[in-house]
Amino acid sequence: MILNLITMNGYGLYVWLSFSVVFISCAVVYFKTKKTLKKYEQEFLAELQALTLEEKTKTLETSKVAQQILATSSKAN
Amino acid sequence: MLKFFSSTNIYLLIHKLIKFINSIFFLILLIGLTFALVLSPPDYLQGDAVRIMYVHVPSAWIGLACFSVITFLSVLNFIFKIKNFYFINKSIAPIGLLFTCLAIVTGSLWGQPTWGTWWAWDARLTSMVVLMFFYIFYILTFKLLNKEELIVKVSSIIAIIGSINLPIIKYSVEWWATLHQPASIKIIGSSSIHKEMLLPLMVMLLVFLLYAALIFLMKYKTEIIRIKKKNIKR
Repeated sequence: MILNLITMNGYGLYVWLSFSVVFISCAVVYFKTKKTLKKYEQEFLAELQALTLEEKTKTLETSKVAQQILATSSKAN
Repeated sequence: MLKFFSSTNIYLLIHKLIKFINSIFFLILLIGLTFALVLSPPDYLQGDAVRIMYVHVPSAWIGLACFSVITFLSVLNFIFKIKNFYFINKSIAPIGLLFTCLAIVTGSLWGQPTWGTWWAWDARLTSMVVLMFFYIFYILTFKLLNKEELIVKVSSIIAIIGSINLPIIKYSVEWWATLHQPASIKIIGSSSIHKEMLLPLMVMLLVFLLYAALIFLMKYKTEIIRIKKKNIKR
Protein backbone atom coordinates (compact mmCIF):
# COMPACT_ATOMS: atom_id res chain seq x y z
CA MET A 1 0.00 0.00 0.00
CA ILE A 2 2.70 2.50 1.09
CA LEU A 3 5.08 1.36 -1.66
CA ASN A 4 2.24 1.74 -4.14
CA LEU A 5 1.59 5.27 -2.86
CA ILE A 6 5.25 6.18 -3.31
CA THR A 7 5.81 4.60 -6.73
CA MET A 8 2.32 5.37 -8.13
CA ASN A 9 2.78 2.47 -10.55
CA GLY A 10 5.78 4.10 -12.18
CA TYR A 11 4.41 7.67 -12.22
CA GLY A 12 5.60 8.53 -8.69
CA LEU A 13 8.38 10.86 -9.85
CA TYR A 14 6.01 13.02 -11.92
CA VAL A 15 3.14 13.01 -9.40
CA TRP A 16 5.26 13.73 -6.31
CA LEU A 17 7.36 16.30 -8.16
CA SER A 18 4.19 18.14 -9.28
CA PHE A 19 2.73 18.20 -5.76
CA SER A 20 6.11 19.20 -4.28
CA VAL A 21 6.63 22.06 -6.75
CA VAL A 22 3.13 23.39 -5.99
CA PHE A 23 3.41 23.15 -2.21
CA ILE A 24 6.97 24.47 -1.97
CA SER A 25 6.13 27.46 -4.25
CA CYS A 26 2.96 28.19 -2.28
CA ALA A 27 4.83 27.94 1.04
CA VAL A 28 7.58 30.31 -0.19
CA VAL A 29 4.99 32.87 -1.38
CA TYR A 30 3.05 32.52 1.89
CA PHE A 31 6.10 33.14 4.12
CA LYS A 32 7.36 35.96 1.90
CA THR A 33 3.95 37.69 2.00
CA LYS A 34 3.71 37.20 5.78
CA LYS A 35 7.23 38.62 6.23
CA THR A 36 6.36 41.73 4.16
CA LEU A 37 3.14 42.23 6.17
CA LYS A 38 5.07 41.97 9.46
CA LYS A 39 7.69 44.40 8.13
CA TYR A 40 5.05 47.01 7.30
CA GLU A 41 3.34 46.49 10.67
CA GLN A 42 6.69 47.05 12.43
CA GLU A 43 7.41 50.14 10.34
CA PHE A 44 3.94 51.50 11.14
CA LEU A 45 4.50 50.88 14.85
CA ALA A 46 7.91 52.56 14.68
CA GLU A 47 6.32 55.64 13.10
CA LEU A 48 3.62 55.57 15.76
CA GLN A 49 6.21 55.40 18.55
CA ALA A 50 8.08 58.32 17.01
CA LEU A 51 5.04 60.59 17.43
CA THR A 52 4.62 62.86 20.44
CA LEU A 53 2.35 61.56 23.19
CA GLU A 54 -0.41 63.93 22.11
CA GLU A 55 -0.18 62.91 18.44
CA LYS A 56 0.00 59.24 19.39
CA THR A 57 -3.12 59.46 21.57
CA LYS A 58 -4.96 61.33 18.83
CA THR A 59 -3.94 58.75 16.19
CA LEU A 60 -4.95 55.83 18.40
CA GLU A 61 -8.28 57.47 19.19
CA THR A 62 -9.13 58.10 15.56
CA SER A 63 -7.58 55.09 13.81
CA LYS A 64 -8.98 51.63 14.47
CA VAL A 65 -6.28 50.24 12.17
CA ALA A 66 -3.57 51.69 14.43
CA GLN A 67 -5.33 50.21 17.47
CA GLN A 68 -5.54 46.83 15.77
CA ILE A 69 -1.87 46.79 14.73
CA LEU A 70 -0.82 47.81 18.23
CA ALA A 71 -3.03 45.12 19.76
CA THR A 72 -1.69 42.42 17.39
CA SER A 73 1.88 43.43 18.07
CA SER A 74 1.30 43.40 21.86
CA LYS A 75 -0.18 39.91 21.59
CA ALA A 76 2.78 38.70 19.51
CA ASN A 77 5.25 40.10 22.05
CA MET B 1 -23.76 51.00 3.67
CA LEU B 2 -20.85 52.89 2.09
CA LYS B 3 -19.36 53.40 5.57
CA PHE B 4 -18.94 49.62 5.80
CA PHE B 5 -16.47 49.75 2.90
CA SER B 6 -14.13 52.18 4.66
CA SER B 7 -10.52 50.96 4.86
CA THR B 8 -10.85 50.63 8.65
CA ASN B 9 -13.83 48.28 8.46
CA ILE B 10 -12.23 46.36 5.60
CA TYR B 11 -9.03 46.03 7.66
CA LEU B 12 -10.93 44.61 10.63
CA LEU B 13 -12.85 42.22 8.37
CA ILE B 14 -9.60 41.08 6.71
CA HIS B 15 -8.12 40.36 10.13
CA LYS B 16 -11.08 38.10 11.00
CA LEU B 17 -11.09 36.40 7.59
CA ILE B 18 -7.35 35.58 7.79
CA LYS B 19 -7.94 34.00 11.21
CA PHE B 20 -10.89 32.00 9.87
CA ILE B 21 -9.02 30.70 6.79
CA ASN B 22 -6.00 29.79 8.93
CA SER B 23 -8.25 27.77 11.24
CA ILE B 24 -9.85 25.61 8.53
CA PHE B 25 -7.13 25.51 5.85
CA PHE B 26 -5.04 22.55 7.03
CA LEU B 27 -8.06 20.34 7.65
CA ILE B 28 -9.38 20.91 4.10
CA LEU B 29 -5.85 20.48 2.69
CA LEU B 30 -5.54 17.14 4.48
CA ILE B 31 -8.91 15.98 3.11
CA GLY B 32 -7.98 17.18 -0.39
CA LEU B 33 -4.60 15.42 -0.37
CA THR B 34 -6.12 12.18 0.94
CA PHE B 35 -8.66 12.20 -1.86
CA ALA B 36 -6.17 13.26 -4.55
CA LEU B 37 -3.31 10.92 -3.66
CA VAL B 38 -5.02 7.90 -2.05
CA LEU B 39 -8.78 7.60 -2.50
CA SER B 40 -9.34 8.74 -6.11
CA PRO B 41 -9.02 5.97 -8.71
CA PRO B 42 -6.29 5.89 -11.38
CA ASP B 43 -7.34 6.74 -14.94
CA TYR B 44 -7.95 3.79 -17.30
CA LEU B 45 -5.52 5.30 -19.85
CA GLN B 46 -3.16 7.56 -17.91
CA GLY B 47 -2.93 5.47 -14.74
CA ASP B 48 -1.74 7.32 -11.63
CA ALA B 49 -0.30 10.19 -13.71
CA VAL B 50 -3.85 11.58 -13.73
CA ARG B 51 -3.34 12.66 -10.09
CA ILE B 52 -1.32 15.61 -11.40
CA MET B 53 -4.69 16.94 -12.59
CA TYR B 54 -5.61 17.75 -8.95
CA VAL B 55 -2.93 20.43 -8.79
CA HIS B 56 -2.71 21.36 -12.49
CA VAL B 57 -6.37 22.13 -13.21
CA PRO B 58 -7.11 24.30 -10.12
CA SER B 59 -3.87 26.23 -10.78
CA ALA B 60 -4.89 26.93 -14.38
CA TRP B 61 -8.44 27.92 -13.37
CA ILE B 62 -7.22 30.33 -10.69
CA GLY B 63 -4.61 31.78 -13.08
CA LEU B 64 -7.37 32.53 -15.58
CA ALA B 65 -9.86 33.72 -12.96
CA CYS B 66 -7.38 36.19 -11.46
CA PHE B 67 -6.73 37.79 -14.85
CA SER B 68 -10.48 37.98 -15.56
CA VAL B 69 -11.02 39.79 -12.24
CA ILE B 70 -8.07 42.11 -12.93
CA THR B 71 -9.49 42.98 -16.37
CA PHE B 72 -12.99 43.60 -14.99
CA LEU B 73 -11.73 45.83 -12.16
CA SER B 74 -9.30 47.62 -14.50
CA VAL B 75 -12.18 48.57 -16.81
CA LEU B 76 -14.23 49.79 -13.83
CA ASN B 77 -11.25 51.69 -12.42
CA PHE B 78 -10.53 53.21 -15.83
CA ILE B 79 -14.12 54.54 -16.03
CA PHE B 80 -15.05 55.31 -12.41
CA LYS B 81 -11.57 55.92 -10.89
CA ILE B 82 -12.17 53.80 -7.80
CA LYS B 83 -8.84 53.73 -5.98
CA ASN B 84 -9.64 50.55 -4.05
CA PHE B 85 -9.68 48.54 -7.29
CA TYR B 86 -6.11 49.61 -7.94
CA PHE B 87 -5.00 48.06 -4.63
CA ILE B 88 -7.13 44.95 -5.19
CA ASN B 89 -5.56 44.40 -8.63
CA LYS B 90 -2.08 45.01 -7.23
CA SER B 91 -2.75 42.31 -4.62
CA ILE B 92 -4.31 39.79 -7.05
CA ALA B 93 -1.70 39.93 -9.84
CA PRO B 94 1.12 38.05 -8.03
CA ILE B 95 -1.34 35.27 -7.10
CA GLY B 96 -2.41 34.95 -10.74
CA LEU B 97 1.22 34.83 -11.87
CA LEU B 98 2.05 32.15 -9.30
CA PHE B 99 -0.82 29.89 -10.35
CA THR B 100 -0.22 30.43 -14.09
CA CYS B 101 3.43 29.40 -13.63
CA LEU B 102 2.35 26.39 -11.55
CA ALA B 103 -0.14 25.36 -14.25
CA ILE B 104 2.62 25.52 -16.86
CA VAL B 105 5.16 23.58 -14.75
CA THR B 106 2.71 20.89 -13.59
CA GLY B 107 1.35 20.65 -17.14
CA SER B 108 4.87 19.98 -18.34
CA LEU B 109 5.33 17.31 -15.64
CA TRP B 110 2.04 15.74 -16.75
CA GLY B 111 2.97 15.98 -20.43
CA GLN B 112 6.14 13.91 -20.15
CA PRO B 113 4.49 10.61 -19.04
CA THR B 114 1.31 11.08 -21.13
CA TRP B 115 2.48 12.78 -24.35
CA GLY B 116 6.13 11.74 -24.19
CA THR B 117 7.37 15.33 -24.17
CA TRP B 118 7.90 18.06 -21.56
CA TRP B 119 6.85 20.82 -23.95
CA ALA B 120 5.16 21.41 -27.31
CA TRP B 121 4.29 24.70 -28.99
CA ASP B 122 0.68 23.67 -28.80
CA ALA B 123 -2.05 26.40 -28.84
CA ARG B 124 -3.16 25.86 -25.23
CA LEU B 125 0.37 25.74 -23.83
CA THR B 126 1.53 28.73 -25.85
CA SER B 127 -1.49 30.84 -24.90
CA MET B 128 -0.82 30.07 -21.22
CA VAL B 129 2.77 31.28 -21.65
CA VAL B 130 1.39 34.46 -23.26
CA LEU B 131 -0.85 34.90 -20.18
CA MET B 132 2.21 34.51 -17.94
CA PHE B 133 3.97 37.31 -19.86
CA PHE B 134 0.91 39.56 -19.52
CA TYR B 135 1.04 38.98 -15.75
CA ILE B 136 4.76 39.83 -15.72
CA PHE B 137 4.20 43.05 -17.71
CA TYR B 138 1.26 43.94 -15.47
CA ILE B 139 3.28 43.49 -12.26
CA LEU B 140 6.25 45.34 -13.76
CA THR B 141 4.12 48.48 -14.22
CA PHE B 142 3.72 48.66 -10.41
CA LYS B 143 7.45 48.11 -9.89
CA LEU B 144 8.83 50.37 -12.64
CA LEU B 145 6.43 53.32 -12.81
CA ASN B 146 6.14 55.93 -10.05
CA LYS B 147 3.03 57.98 -10.75
CA GLU B 148 -0.18 56.27 -9.65
CA GLU B 149 -2.24 57.76 -12.50
CA LEU B 150 0.23 56.46 -15.07
CA ILE B 151 0.31 53.03 -13.40
CA VAL B 152 -3.49 52.83 -13.56
CA LYS B 153 -3.52 53.77 -17.25
CA VAL B 154 -0.68 51.45 -18.34
CA SER B 155 -1.78 48.49 -16.20
CA SER B 156 -5.40 48.84 -17.38
CA ILE B 157 -4.28 48.83 -21.02
CA ILE B 158 -2.15 45.71 -20.40
CA ALA B 159 -5.10 44.01 -18.66
CA ILE B 160 -7.56 44.89 -21.45
CA ILE B 161 -5.19 43.73 -24.22
CA GLY B 162 -4.34 40.62 -22.19
CA SER B 163 -8.02 39.76 -21.80
CA ILE B 164 -8.16 39.01 -25.55
CA ASN B 165 -5.98 36.02 -24.72
CA LEU B 166 -8.51 34.58 -22.23
CA PRO B 167 -11.05 33.21 -24.77
CA ILE B 168 -8.09 32.04 -26.88
CA ILE B 169 -6.89 29.93 -23.92
CA LYS B 170 -10.39 28.60 -23.26
CA TYR B 171 -11.23 27.67 -26.87
CA SER B 172 -7.72 26.85 -28.16
CA VAL B 173 -8.42 23.13 -27.71
CA GLU B 174 -11.52 23.42 -29.92
CA TRP B 175 -10.22 25.87 -32.54
CA TRP B 176 -6.94 24.08 -33.23
CA ALA B 177 -5.73 20.49 -33.26
CA THR B 178 -3.79 20.37 -29.99
CA LEU B 179 -1.93 17.84 -27.88
CA HIS B 180 -3.88 19.17 -24.91
CA GLN B 181 -7.17 17.35 -24.35
CA PRO B 182 -10.52 19.21 -24.68
CA ALA B 183 -12.32 20.36 -21.52
CA SER B 184 -13.69 17.48 -19.43
CA ILE B 185 -15.68 19.74 -17.11
CA LYS B 186 -18.38 21.98 -18.54
CA ILE B 187 -20.56 24.48 -16.69
CA ILE B 188 -23.20 24.16 -19.41
CA GLY B 189 -23.74 20.62 -20.65
CA SER B 190 -22.58 17.27 -19.30
CA SER B 191 -19.04 16.77 -18.03
CA SER B 192 -17.09 13.71 -19.13
CA ILE B 193 -15.21 13.37 -15.83
CA HIS B 194 -16.34 10.68 -13.36
CA LYS B 195 -17.68 11.92 -10.01
CA GLU B 196 -14.98 9.92 -8.18
CA MET B 197 -12.44 12.24 -9.80
CA LEU B 198 -14.64 15.35 -9.82
CA LEU B 199 -15.04 15.35 -6.02
CA PRO B 200 -11.27 15.40 -5.23
CA LEU B 201 -10.81 18.01 -7.93
CA MET B 202 -13.42 20.26 -6.32
CA VAL B 203 -11.89 19.78 -2.85
CA MET B 204 -8.45 20.66 -4.22
CA LEU B 205 -9.98 23.68 -5.97
CA LEU B 206 -11.38 24.80 -2.61
CA VAL B 207 -7.93 24.38 -1.03
CA PHE B 208 -6.32 26.48 -3.77
CA LEU B 209 -9.07 29.12 -3.54
CA LEU B 210 -8.62 29.39 0.23
CA TYR B 211 -4.87 29.74 -0.25
CA ALA B 212 -5.36 32.40 -2.94
CA ALA B 213 -7.81 34.26 -0.67
CA LEU B 214 -5.34 34.10 2.21
CA ILE B 215 -2.48 35.55 0.15
CA PHE B 216 -4.80 38.20 -1.32
CA LEU B 217 -6.00 39.27 2.14
CA MET B 218 -2.45 39.47 3.48
CA LYS B 219 -1.30 41.53 0.49
CA TYR B 220 -4.35 43.80 0.69
CA LYS B 221 -3.78 44.27 4.43
CA THR B 222 -0.18 45.28 3.63
CA GLU B 223 -1.50 47.88 1.16
CA ILE B 224 -3.88 49.34 3.78
CA ILE B 225 -1.04 49.61 6.33
CA ARG B 226 1.13 51.27 3.69
CA ILE B 227 -1.56 53.92 3.07
CA LYS B 228 -2.18 54.43 6.80
CA LYS B 229 1.58 54.76 7.35
CA LYS B 230 1.77 57.49 4.71
CA ASN B 231 -1.08 59.40 6.37
CA ILE B 232 -0.06 58.87 9.99
CA LYS B 233 1.08 62.46 10.52
CA ARG B 234 -1.61 64.11 8.44
